[in-house]
Amino acid sequence: MTTGKPLHELSIAEAGAALRNGSLRATQLADHALARIAAINPAINAFVTVTEDRARADAAAADADFARGIDRGPLQGIPYGLKDIYDTEGIRTACHSKLRVDHVPSADSAVAEKFRTQGAVLLGKLTTNEFALGNPDPDAPFPPALNPWNTAHSPGGSSSGSGAAVAAGLTRIAMGSDTGASIRGPASYCGIVGLKPTFGLVSRRGVFPLSPSLDHCGPLTRSVEDAAIVMEAISGHDPNDPASANVSIPKFRSLMASGVKGLRIGVPRHFFEGAKGLSPEALDGIDSSLQKLRDAGASVEAITLPDYELFTACGRVIMYTEAFAIHENDFRQRPREFGFSTYMRMIMGAFTTGPDMVQALRLRRELTEAMNAAFSTCDAIVTATALGPAPRMNTPGDWAMPSDSPMQCIQFNVTGHPALALPTRLSGSGLPLALQIAAKHFDEPTLLRIGAVLEEDNEILSRWPQLAHT
Amino acid sequence: MIAEKRIPSDDQLREEFEALARRAGIEVLDDRREAMFASFCDYRRMTALLHGARTAGVESANIFSIESVKRRQ
Repeated sequence: MTTGKPLHELSIAEAGAALRNGSLRATQLADHALARIAAINPAINAFVTVTEDRARADAAAADADFARGIDRGPLQGIPYGLKDIYDTEGIRTACHSKLRVDHVPSADSAVAEKFRTQGAVLLGKLTTNEFALGNPDPDAPFPPALNPWNTAHSPGGSSSGSGAAVAAGLTRIAMGSDTGASIRGPASYCGIVGLKPTFGLVSRRGVFPLSPSLDHCGPLTRSVEDAAIVMEAISGHDPNDPASANVSIPKFRSLMASGVKGLRIGVPRHFFEGAKGLSPEALDGIDSSLQKLRDAGASVEAITLPDYELFTACGRVIMYTEAFAIHENDFRQRPREFGFSTYMRMIMGAFTTGPDMVQALRLRRELTEAMNAAFSTCDAIVTATALGPAPRMNTPGDWAMPSDSPMQCIQFNVTGHPALALPTRLSGSGLPLALQIAAKHFDEPTLLRIGAVLEEDNEILSRWPQLAHT
Repeated sequence: MIAEKRIPSDDQLREEFEALARRAGIEVLDDRREAMFASFCDYRRMTALLHGARTAGVESANIFSIESVKRRQ
């Protein structure tokens, strides 16, 4: 112990300070995390593979480096997990699919490489929905992750294990991917922080694609500060990712403490007010947070964007079409190897016509320009993510049609703007509710500034779900 | 205002569904045919939304306008 907190409650910065002043060793942190995983993971299935030997070796190497005065940065000695679509050299990366259940990559993904070379401690691979799409399938090769706040409920997807693991205190850092909501959805349902960066800021090399022009890699963390630290470690140009942007990387952590005084916040209320499935508690959470931002000196005004339905149509058509193009041979040759809900969604890409796709790409340009225009009058946009608390886990054969999704996240995948999901309050049923903040391309610091204000006295981020083993 | 492409009748939709499946080279599995067709109808409503009037300036694009991102040449 260092500050009197259990080790899993130490922030990255707190743990890092203790590691550097000698009051904590990385092997202690790793042992603590592995013990929690052994005790809690069977109840929530957050980890699909636990890399115990690798974790102990990474931790020992970090301690040895500290002893020699070698400091590889803020992640040295800090445990983390990777969604099981991130390639890891010598460690199975199955994408939760029968089609890749024996796949062992020969090289690390770019993000895994960054964590490894900066001395972080790999705890294991985290559960996902198959190929980062769809719902948990009863015929999947591994069990689905469950929500630590109530294991009868969904943790969201597709970074389901990432959300569950951070919420349950199994790791401070879990990497996810977001093609339509897959970081922000689990963050919302699990009551943690999820950051979908600007398209091109974090390399996707070695991460199995769902829809390459919509895929984003980003962290799920316990706090905004943790997210800022991870972003500094994983951002940067990668010539081996065709979409990687060659931009300078800001000091996210130091910029996040600037407050929100003078910031202009736009709110597209027409997106979520009156939307099917909006819970009054979710709306209250958003409005209470907006009041908090006003009280801190920001101005808040309603803005109008194109209809949300257009973002959904544009994003879903591009997503399913790109995904089908990746898997079309398997759809022809071994269709029953896909889980049912993956199959039923992804195969819709087979029905896209050429003109449909061209019009989707034209609409994408139009929607992106509209979003850019909105950002000419405001510094950030605050809107809903999940329209209510986590639903109950799906029953076999139950798979939501895309148009019925209770999640409003895909607009920022279509336009590539960065977005941060953050919890607002607990519902009456004891489940987290959330909102998201979006900003101009490559303006993650503004997201983190706003997130840092909303994080203060946050009723969810200061609590832990009461699992049987905690 | 969302301009929608006309949605065909159920019979026409079913013909379109079968033709597009053949065109894509996929076999429609018998035990999934009705669920797939229901999903196709939902998807068809979605694709109809894409066909609204656009100006000539709105060319097909991947993600960004040129000024919004800097990439290595």
